[in-house]
Amino acid sequence: MKVSFKLNGKNVVIDVNPNEVLLDTLRLKLGVKSVKRGCERGECGVCTVLMNGKPVYSCMVLTPQADGAEIETVEYLQGKEEVKALIDSFVKHGAIQCGYCTPGFIVTAYALIKAKQNGLTKEDVIKGLEGNLCRCTGYKKILEAVINALNQLET
Amino acid sequence: MSVEDPYALLDKWLNAQELLVVGKDVTRVDAFQKAVGKAYFTEDYLLKEALFVKQVLSPYPHARILSYDVRKALDIPGVKAVITAKDIPGVNQVGYALPDQPLLAEGKVRYVGEVVALVVAEDYDTAFKGVESVEVKYEELPYLLDPLEAMNRNDILIHEEIGSNIAFKTKVVKGDVNEGFAKSDVIVENEYRTHHQDHIYLEPEAALAIPDMEGRITIICSTQYPHLTRDIASKVLGLPSSYVKIITPYVGGGFGGKDDEGPLVAAKAALAAYLTGRPSFLMYSREESIAIHPKREATVIKYKSGASKDGRLQAIDVKIIHDTGAYANRGPFILWRATVHASGPYEVPNARVEGFAVYTNKVYQGSFRGFGNPGIQFAAESQMDLLAEKLGLDPIDFRLKNILKEGSTTITSQKLDHSVGVGEALRKVAEASDWWRKRREYSLDTGRFRRGIGVGVAWHGISTSRGVPDWSNAYVKIEKDGSVTAYTGIVEMGQGAPTSAHVQIISELLGIPPTKVKVIFGTTDAPDTGATHASRGSSIGGIGVLIAAAKLRERLAKLASEILNVTPEEIMFKDGRVYSKKDPNLYIEWKDLIKEAISKGVELSATGYFFLPKGKFDDVRGQGFAYPAFSYMVVISEVEVDVETGVVKVLKVWPALAAGRILNPQQVEGQLEGAAVQGLGYALMENLVFDGKGRVVNPDLTDYVIPTIRDVPEIQKPIYVEDLFKYGPFGAKGVGELALIPMPASVANAVSHALKTRVTSLPLTPERVLELIRSSR
Ligand code: FES
Ligand code: FES
Repeated sequence: MKVSFKLNGKNVVIDVNPNEVLLDTLRLKLGVKSVKRGCERGECGVCTVLMNGKPVYSCMVLTPQADGAEIETVEYLQGKEEVKALIDSFVKHGAIQCGYCTPGFIVTAYALIKAKQNGLTKEDVIKGLEGNLCRCTGYKKILEAVINALNQLET
Repeated sequence: MSVEDPYALLDKWLNAQELLVVGKDVTRVDAFQKAVGKAYFTEDYLLKEALFVKQVLSPYPHARILSYDVRKALDIPGVKAVITAKDIPGVNQVGYALPDQPLLAEGKVRYVGEVVALVVAEDYDTAFKGVESVEVKYEELPYLLDPLEAMNRNDILIHEEIGSNIAFKTKVVKGDVNEGFAKSDVIVENEYRTHHQDHIYLEPEAALAIPDMEGRITIICSTQYPHLTRDIASKVLGLPSSYVKIITPYVGGGFGGKDDEGPLVAAKAALAAYLTGRPSFLMYSREESIAIHPKREATVIKYKSGASKDGRLQAIDVKIIHDTGAYANRGPFILWRATVHASGPYEVPNARVEGFAVYTNKVYQGSFRGFGNPGIQFAAESQMDLLAEKLGLDPIDFRLKNILKEGSTTITSQKLDHSVGVGEALRKVAEASDWWRKRREYSLDTGRFRRGIGVGVAWHGISTSRGVPDWSNAYVKIEKDGSVTAYTGIVEMGQGAPTSAHVQIISELLGIPPTKVKVIFGTTDAPDTGATHASRGSSIGGIGVLIAAAKLRERLAKLASEILNVTPEEIMFKDGRVYSKKDPNLYIEWKDLIKEAISKGVELSATGYFFLPKGKFDDVRGQGFAYPAFSYMVVISEVEVDVETGVVKVLKVWPALAAGRILNPQQVEGQLEGAAVQGLGYALMENLVFDGKGRVVNPDLTDYVIPTIRDVPEIQKPIYVEDLFKYGPFGAKGVGELALIPMPASVANAVSHALKTRVTSLPLTPERVLELIRSSR
C-alpha cells in the first residue's frame, strides 16, 4: 500500500506491506542509517525517531500508521541548535563508546528539551532517558552530557 | 642493537619524560560520526541484491537427528537454498579449544537453539516461511542440565567421543595445603554460585558475505578477531585463507560475545553466499541472539581457606566447576584463567585449585568481559571478608597484610618482578571512601534501610594465559602529503582502541595532529594483531602501533639531524614540525621532511611486530609463568538494602585501577564506568532463566533486565596507580575488563555487611535478598 509522510523535511511516497514497521522502511528502503535495530520489540530505544515531534520506537510503529506524519531523525535534526549542543556535549564528555545507542539518546533528549524548554531537573532527564538502553557507557557520561547541554542552552 | 630493535623502542617510550598527547583527554575521532549516524555498522552495508539467511533451530536439548526434509521449503518461491551439515564444502568443525563443535548440527543436537539448518531466500519474510517449512525428524535423548549431576554421570553422554561429561580439567598445586591448614588458626569453608550472563551488546550479531569476481569472498561482519573469523570461514568453505577477506566496520558492542559468535555468523553468511553465488546477509533477532550465542559461565565454587593469627593467609583449597553447556568453546581457557586467579591478588604459600568444565545440554559458555574471573574473585573476596571477621580484623587491613607486591610469588609460583600497584590502589581508595569510619558506622544500622560498604579487589593477567603465544603488530605508513595511515586487526567496538589510543600513539610519536592520522581497523588486510579481547586492544594492540611509528620516527629523526646538522637525540616532533630541542629555530616542517625522505630513499612504511616474551608453564601442576603482568582493580561499593522489600541500591562506587600508563583518562573512565555498571547488573538483576528443557525462557529485554540510566550509582573519579608495564605502549597494561571483575564481590560484600549475613550466590534480586534475611534469622 502507498504511504506518504514527511521524512526529514522532505515528502516521501512509498509502497509498503501493511505490516511493515517504520524501522524497516527507514533503514532498508530510505537509507536512514542513524536509526538502529536492537530488539525490534520496543525495549531498547536504539530505533528512536521523532514522529510529529514525539519520540517513538520506530520498530513499534507500522509504516501505514506514519501516513501523513512528520518523521525526523538525527541526520536532519543535527542542524538544530539544541541537537548541536547535545552532540557537542556527548562528544566532549566521552558519552559515546560504540555509538549504537547514541542517535537514539540524542533524539530522545532533544524531544525532552523541546517538551519542557526550561527547568529540566536531573530527575526529569533520568525519567526521559529511561527507555533508552546503553550497554557500553554505564550512562554516567550520557547523563552528564545531557545536563551539560541543558546548562549550555539555558545560558 | 639496531635503532629499530623493538625492545629498545618500547623502553625508550616507557621512560619518556614529557608526553604531549598520550595521557591526555584527547577526543576520539569517531564520536561525531557515531552521533549522527555516519559511522557504519554491519547492517548499514546491506546490499539491495542480498539474500537473507534465517536459521532453523533445535527445539530439543538433546536429540539425534534422524532426517531432514527440505523439499517443502525449497518449493516456496523465493527460497534459494536450504543448507544443512552435508552441504558444507569444507570442514564442519568450529570448536575453538576442542574439536567438539559443528557449525551446523551434525548427527545430534545438544541444546535448545542449536543451529540445524540455514534457509536462504530473496527476502526476510520468505526466509522465515522457509524456516517454518523445513522438517527435521529427531529422536529425543535424555539430557542433563545440572553440571554437578552431569560430571558424575556416564550413562548420558553429551559428547560420546569424550567418554565423560567433563570437557576439561585444570589444576594448580603449590606447597602443601594440609600443612597450610595445620598452621591456620582460622579456617573458612563455603560454596559459592554464580549464574549465566548475556552480553546484550545493543547491535545484534550480523554478517554480510559478498562473493567477488575472482572467486573470493568478502565478509563484512560484527566480530572481534578478523583473522580468526577468516580462518574459521575459510575452513568451513574449504578455501585457502587468502581467499576470504574480513572487514569489521564499527561494532555495536562486543564484550567478548562477538569473539565467539562473530566468526560463526560470518561463516554461516559465507556459506550461503558461496553456495548461492549471491551476497548473503544474516542478522540475529534479539531472541535468537540470547538463545544461541555463548554466555558467561555459571559456576559452582567450593572454597576453603585458612589464615594464621598474625593475619597471614596460609592455604587455599578450591574446586571450580564451570557449566560449559553444550560445547567447550573457549571454556578451557576460561577455566585456566579462573584457576590461576583463584587466590585473588594475595600471597598464598599453599594452594590447591582444581577446575572442571562440565558439559550440560544448555547454551554454551564463552568469552565475557572478565573471562572466568568475576566468579572466582567473588568467591575469593567473600572468603577474605569471612577470614577477616574471624580474625577480628578490618577487611581491608587484612587484605593489605597479604596483598601482592613487587617480589611476591603468585599461586603458580610466578615471581612478580615489576608493575604491582594493587596495594597502593587499595590503600588510596580505602582512604578516599572513608572506609574505616563507614565500616564501623554502618554496622550499627538497624532500621528498614541498612547501609553497607564492601570491597572487591581483583587481578587480571595481561595477555593469554600460560605460555600461549601472543603478539602485536601493525602496519603504519606515511603518505606523501604527510598524513598517516595505520592498519590494525584490532576492531572498534566502543572501547576506542583504534580511534583513540592508537591515534594518540601515532600523534605523539610523529608530532602530527590526530586529524591527520587514519587508523584502518578490523581488517584482514592488516597483519594479524590478535583478537580484540582480554583488555588487549589499546595495550597489546598498541605495542605494534608504537613500534611501527617509533621506527619511522627514528628514521626521520636521523634524516632531520642530517639536514639540520644536529644530533638525532635532540630532534623533537611536535605540531607538524621537526626541530632541535636545543635550538627550536633549527627546524624543518613535517611535510618538507617527508618530501626529503621520499627524495633521499628513506622508507616511510613500517610494521611493528612484537612477540611477547613468556616463561614456561607446567600444565600438569599448574606451576610457572602465567602472565607477563597483571592489571589490578579495586572497587569499594556502598549499598542500601531495604529489608522489607529486599531491594538493594548501590549508592556509591569508588574505583581504583593499577593498569600501568593511562593513555587517555577520559576513555579509561568510560571503560571503568561501563564495566562497573555491567558488573552491577550481573550482581543485582541480570539472570538468564532456563526451563526444565534447558530453554532460555527470557530471551528478550523485558524479562532479561539490564541496568537503565536509573540504576546508575554515583561513580567517583577513579584513582589511578600507574605501575608501568615494561612491554606495554608507554607502560599501559589493559583496562577494558577490569572494573567488572571485582564488582560482584564488592556489591556482595557490601550487602553482606549491611545484612550481617553472608551472600554466597548471585544475583541479589529482591527475592534472594529476602530469602537471605529470612534464613539468617
Ligand atoms: S529496536 Fe526498537 S526499541 Fe529496540
Ligand atoms: S555506546 Fe554502545 S550501547 Fe551505548
